Amino acid sequence: MPSVPHTQTKQENAAPSRGWRFFRVIRRLYARPASALGTSIFIIFLFLAIIGPLVTPYTTTEQIYSDAFQSPSSAHWFGTDNLGRDVFSRVIAGAREILVLAGLGTLISVVTGTIIGLLSGYRGGWFDELIMRFFDSLLALPAMLLALLLLGTLGPSTNSILIVIVVVYTPIVARVTRSVVLEVKNKAYVEAARLQGESLPHIVFGEILPPVLPTLAVESALRFSYAIFLVASLGFLGVGVQPPNPNWGLMVKETRNYVSQMPWALYFPVIAISLTVIGINLMADGLKELFGVGTQ
Amino acid sequence: MNKYINLIKNNLSLTILLISLLVVLILTSCAQATQAPEITDAGTTHETSEGPTISREGVFKVAMQPIVQTDPAFISSDSEVLVANHVYDYLVDIDPQNNIIPRLAKEWTVSDDGLSYVFTLQEGVTFHDGSPLSAEDVVWTFNRLRDPEAGLPTGDLYSNIANVGGSGDLEVIFTLENPNPFFLFDLSDNHALILKAGTEDASTTFNGTGPFKVSNYLPEDRIILEANENYFIDGEPKLAGIEIIFFNDEAAAVDALRGGQVDLALRMSTELFVSLQDEPNIVTIDIPTNGFDLVRLRSDRSPGDDPRVIQAFKLATDRQAILQLVQQGYGAIGRDSPIGPLYTTYYSEDTPVPTRDIAAARQLLSDAGYPDGLEMEMHVPDSGGRPNLAVVLKEQWAEAGIDVNVIVEPESVYYGDDGWLEVDLGNTGWGSRPYPQFYLDVMLKCDAIWNESHFCDDEFDHLVSLAGSTLDEAERIEAYHEMQRILIERGPVIIPYFFAQYAAISDQFQGFELKAFAGRTDFRQLSTTR
Repeated sequence: MPSVPHTQTKQENAAPSRGWRFFRVIRRLYARPASALGTSIFIIFLFLAIIGPLVTPYTTTEQIYSDAFQSPSSAHWFGTDNLGRDVFSRVIAGAREILVLAGLGTLISVVTGTIIGLLSGYRGGWFDELIMRFFDSLLALPAMLLALLLLGTLGPSTNSILIVIVVVYTPIVARVTRSVVLEVKNKAYVEAARLQGESLPHIVFGEILPPVLPTLAVESALRFSYAIFLVASLGFLGVGVQPPNPNWGLMVKETRNYVSQMPWALYFPVIAISLTVIGINLMADGLKELFGVGTQ
Repeated sequence: MNKYINLIKNNLSLTILLISLLVVLILTSCAQATQAPEITDAGTTHETSEGPTISREGVFKVAMQPIVQTDPAFISSDSEVLVANHVYDYLVDIDPQNNIIPRLAKEWTVSDDGLSYVFTLQEGVTFHDGSPLSAEDVVWTFNRLRDPEAGLPTGDLYSNIANVGGSGDLEVIFTLENPNPFFLFDLSDNHALILKAGTEDASTTFNGTGPFKVSNYLPEDRIILEANENYFIDGEPKLAGIEIIFFNDEAAAVDALRGGQVDLALRMSTELFVSLQDEPNIVTIDIPTNGFDLVRLRSDRSPGDDPRVIQAFKLATDRQAILQLVQQGYGAIGRDSPIGPLYTTYYSEDTPVPTRDIAAARQLLSDAGYPDGLEMEMHVPDSGGRPNLAVVLKEQWAEAGIDVNVIVEPESVYYGDDGWLEVDLGNTGWGSRPYPQFYLDVMLKCDAIWNESHFCDDEFDHLVSLAGSTLDEAERIEAYHEMQRILIERGPVIIPYFFAQYAAISDQFQGFELKAFAGRTDFRQLSTTR
């Protein structure tokens, strides 16, 4: 059963292979200045996260006593903090730390959320009702409150943060997926597949999933930026990752009272958080335009 | 639109209810707005020179943590003590140099055997309700504080008192079971504020003899005090009133001081204190204290039960670097004992503190059965310089193969359910006390209630008991010096520094003297040029 005719947009109809399609998306993102900027910021941070340890001159925890409170210089590009640690090295290491944590969390929530949303939307009935009411009750709590409650129970650790992201964002992804599934599942070709006696996995993943993908791409990008925000916020509140981890939020918490003595140690992590979140949001907006998701 | 009109018609009673609720809300908010100035005025109504002999001027605004307890028997935080210290009076007080000075007691005598103390009270002291102070009130107060049935925090402290009795109106006699050389310090304990005999609810009546009267207490917002015109010391207090405004966040309190909303910020982290140094119109004050951060290893189970492990931790620590990085050089370097340099004769530098030696530390760990190093969790309360201290220690110890996972917890979690007494490796802040015996009794004796390191050493215990009971000062000094040697040699504790106490005050006020326990700072002598 070919799935190509089911996709909604022209450019995807024409795409001969997945890799080619990916680069086409990137190229089209660069067609608009805002999404071009966002995508570039994201790619730069991603690149820094990957090559991070190769370019940073110091380790993230190395304390050089004699260098404490140094302003930015050629030896320390972003200066040093109160414990004589190199802020540049910490901000770069923080990029890897936060992108991996938020990225992994987002990936798990998108995969589980999609599977649950697909099944729940397609099956309907009591199964759908049960899952959705449960998710509604989770969504009724503000994300930060839910996160704090969970961390209070799990105790602060990197794994706990991952669980928090998954618990907070899976219901949202599942809801979004389900809403698209409800639209698609009564279309003629799905009906046809069902009448042909195709298996449930084939119908759900082969027939219904492809038209959901554009929405998912946009949703994943948005969730990713919120996840970064959440990880940084939890770090700032001191309930997330523990010192001396170079988490950007934690760095802001640790240095905010020193702002008159070493503004650089506060401003660089703040700039890093804002830039990443803005970059990914602009990229998500570009994807939204591109796929025509959410526009009437 | 019609739909909504129908909805309103059908639910007329509900609509009326909603509208009336709205009206009530608007009215009450207006009423509050007009009342508000009256509340804040309360502190300044006696600002005029109506007093018989003295003109009291100015309202002093202090930023402090919110208070919870108002009954003097239960107060503990600096802000609670600060409020109580101005509404009530102590029998004897402590000056900024940690000397015992008279307050409600004019003078006293001690019997030769050290078992009987006779205090003569000041004359002409009255409570805020106008009734005179008599020996009966002092007797009643101390009987309440020491009543074992009542379960007050002071029950243990005063268990050595055999009897408190009055003789005439102005004489109080304390009889002790055993001699206690620090009894006067015990009498000046934070909780030992004199109440009116028979006070039923000390948390709401605020009937003290102190220099200020409570004019308005708005929980979680502020407490407004006005000068006691009938205070027993002529010319005191010099201010018309004090307003203690509650701040949960010390950074916010410091900002309020910068912005002129408050005149004094007490207790703050070193970095905030440093940030105020070049601020115009603000005077910054720092004094050394006996308070310290204690890094301790549980010594009743592995790995802390091996003296070689304890030594390895000490050898891996660079105290000078810690003082510089964590306290920015403020305060004094510690020698692993709570008996600090301010205790003058009790303090000793006879036994050298081990200097940092990574190779020796590694060797000791290897001998103790940890050739590949040691991995531990360190629990740290999220207050003061303690998280920074933990991060610096982690880095220093890593070189010796001690791999520490830092776990920073809110104070409520760290101290909650006595978790801090259970963990293997912890980092606790200890406030300043005027005499060293307190720390030894509650922290380092075998059966001490807060023996967080679970230290138990017969020789040490004997010395603690000796120092706490002997009337021979030379013998006590000798015992304290011995204890310092033992703690350096085998105590499972590291005290890297004694911290400084900070305050920052508007330059329009004079006569401010900061005390090591910030809550005991008193404003009776404070005056303003404003």
